Amino acid sequence: MSVSEAKVVTGQLANLSGNDPSGNTRDDCAVISLKHVTREYAGHGSVVRALEDATFSIVAGEWVAITGPSGSGKSTLVNMIGCLDRPTSGELKIDNINTAAMTATELDRFRADKIGFIFQQFHLIPYLSALENVMLAQYFHSMTDETEAKTALQRVGLGDRISHLPSELSGGEQQRVCIARALINNPPILLADEPTGNLDAANQKIVAELLQDLHRNGHTIVMVTHDPEMAGLAQRRIALSHGKVFCHPVGGPMVTLRRATDRL
Amino acid sequence: MFFRLLMESFRRQRRRKMLAGIAILLGTTAVTAMLALATTIGDRIHKELAVYGANIVIYPKADLLDVKVGGVDVKPASGGAYLKESDLAKLKTIFWGNNITGVSPELPVQMSVARHAGDPLVAASAVGYWFDHDFSGLKTGAPALHPWWRLQGSWPTAQNDPGHRNVVVGANLAKKLSLNVGDNFTVQQTQTAGSAQSSAVVTGIVTTGNETDNEILMTLRDAQTFTGANDAVRRVEVSARTKPEDAFARVDPDSLPPKQREIWYCRPYANSIAYQIREAIPGAQAEQVRRVEQSEGNVLKRISGLMWLISAAALLAAGFAVSAAMATAILERRGEIGLMRSLGASKGAIALLFYAEAGLLAVLAGTMGYLLGSGLAAWLGARIFAGDGGTAEAILIPVLLPVVVALALIVAIAGSTPSIRTALRMDPSAILRADA
Repeated sequence: MSVSEAKVVTGQLANLSGNDPSGNTRDDCAVISLKHVTREYAGHGSVVRALEDATFSIVAGEWVAITGPSGSGKSTLVNMIGCLDRPTSGELKIDNINTAAMTATELDRFRADKIGFIFQQFHLIPYLSALENVMLAQYFHSMTDETEAKTALQRVGLGDRISHLPSELSGGEQQRVCIARALINNPPILLADEPTGNLDAANQKIVAELLQDLHRNGHTIVMVTHDPEMAGLAQRRIALSHGKVFCHPVGGPMVTLRRATDRL
Repeated sequence: MFFRLLMESFRRQRRRKMLAGIAILLGTTAVTAMLALATTIGDRIHKELAVYGANIVIYPKADLLDVKVGGVDVKPASGGAYLKESDLAKLKTIFWGNNITGVSPELPVQMSVARHAGDPLVAASAVGYWFDHDFSGLKTGAPALHPWWRLQGSWPTAQNDPGHRNVVVGANLAKKLSLNVGDNFTVQQTQTAGSAQSSAVVTGIVTTGNETDNEILMTLRDAQTFTGANDAVRRVEVSARTKPEDAFARVDPDSLPPKQREIWYCRPYANSIAYQIREAIPGAQAEQVRRVEQSEGNVLKRISGLMWLISAAALLAAGFAVSAAMATAILERRGEIGLMRSLGASKGAIALLFYAEAGLLAVLAGTMGYLLGSGLAAWLGARIFAGDGGTAEAILIPVLLPVVVALALIVAIAGSTPSIRTALRMDPSAILRADA
């Protein structure tokens, strides 16, 4: 998707999703809010600016696709939203809390509470069963609860595969375990990094439907993708190029999302 | 979940864990062996050097005084003062009483002897000793303090019949008088005038390599009866386990401030034991027999130094091996680390997991190292001290187990720390992307 294409998207859900009539997100409704966020890295004798002056907000329950070519700053942006990194300057608020002011330990705790990660490569621990992989997220969050973990797996359609090792599951099933793990602590934000990038068409469809379902149930989804069809499912696209946010228009309506699903 | 992750790391990285475990095992084996030997070496060297005699000698303080009349020393050659045999029990009451491993009182008697009754009497020296005396539960006496004495026959025992004494005769004197084990001969004490002749039975002939070969050895009780000095002893040899002498050992305790004096007093230097003996037994002068003490101290000092060096080198090598194994293990598991961090695991939680792995490995390898090291110490001890044909004396010192396990833990934790710190510095997002 080009930058100009992204700018075409209209904002029918503006009022529902906390955007004002001019299309800007209202800060008090934002679950993610960036103001002039810049991230710089020290390079060999120079400073590399991976993200420059990014300002936008994402409201609760919104599904946003982050797109852009390699090296455009997607990973930097996702790392900061995922509380794995902090801005060099500017303000990044998650759930109205400024992450820049947090200590490393507070940020770890905050990440466990607020963010659920869905990875392209699933990143399941190979020697733990599907159930144990889900329980691992519980363990680092608070305490393990096998019943809850089983319910999470049933929710993604893997109730009969709980004792299987990742190597005994298909790619789509592994991704569903990954989604169950991301959901288990009930975080307000799901951060999906190319969630269907490693899946065939059939599994891609299953995962896309699962994400749609989660979105319908009120989850905020921030999804990095190269796939225009997956990006089309989102309400809004944020395009990045050379570290700059080129557009953050209010996203497309649910009908667009359904159309895209139909194409899958 | 924690134990599941811990156990799985051992199951999956068996080879790496085994390598690190073997390094710790070898290190702790060496350390246990060295510590076990160092702990027992003092006793063993003391036993070895005991063949050179006692390390403390006690005699009456009066012997130190010059008795001069008109510039002429009139003190009798044999001395006139005695210690009380009954006072020797006080040796066990001193601060380092338990370090006393042998006591041998002596009472010389001037005698005349003849092969047969009626033969001309020949002057001979006799000495009364303990031979197998129960000294507050310690079986001791002259043979224990002179292990190089070679006896043919048996040591004398006290007889109720004063007319028939049991004695052992020095090899030279026996030859001179043509005495064999079981023979009777005539003895008369000449210290006091008018004593009667009596008969003595030779129970044994002793070869000592010194002037004792020309003497008659009898029980202390018989010697006291001969001299008429009940409860008297002339000289006491004492063998005690001591700390190697250093500069502090040689200072005069009475010149020290009270606190320093207390420290000096509470160290088992031969000097401080001698000092305590002087305090305990009235009229006694106790002194260190310097030659043996110094040999013991020097040997101990050198061997201990070497042992510490070997132990430190073994532990250092183990630390490096653990470090290398842990670095590879962490590199292999960087994906897991990245995932755990993204799931909200704090650096502390991840460090705890890896330190627990290192700790568990250290406890297992340390315990095995302790057992192996104890065996090695027994084998080395037998080789070094018992000579060819010596049997390995088991050296299993329970107090060493926590020490060795603690050392293994220190090595494992110190060896793992650089790798764990590196793991904690890793950028989780970069790891997860690199793994993709």
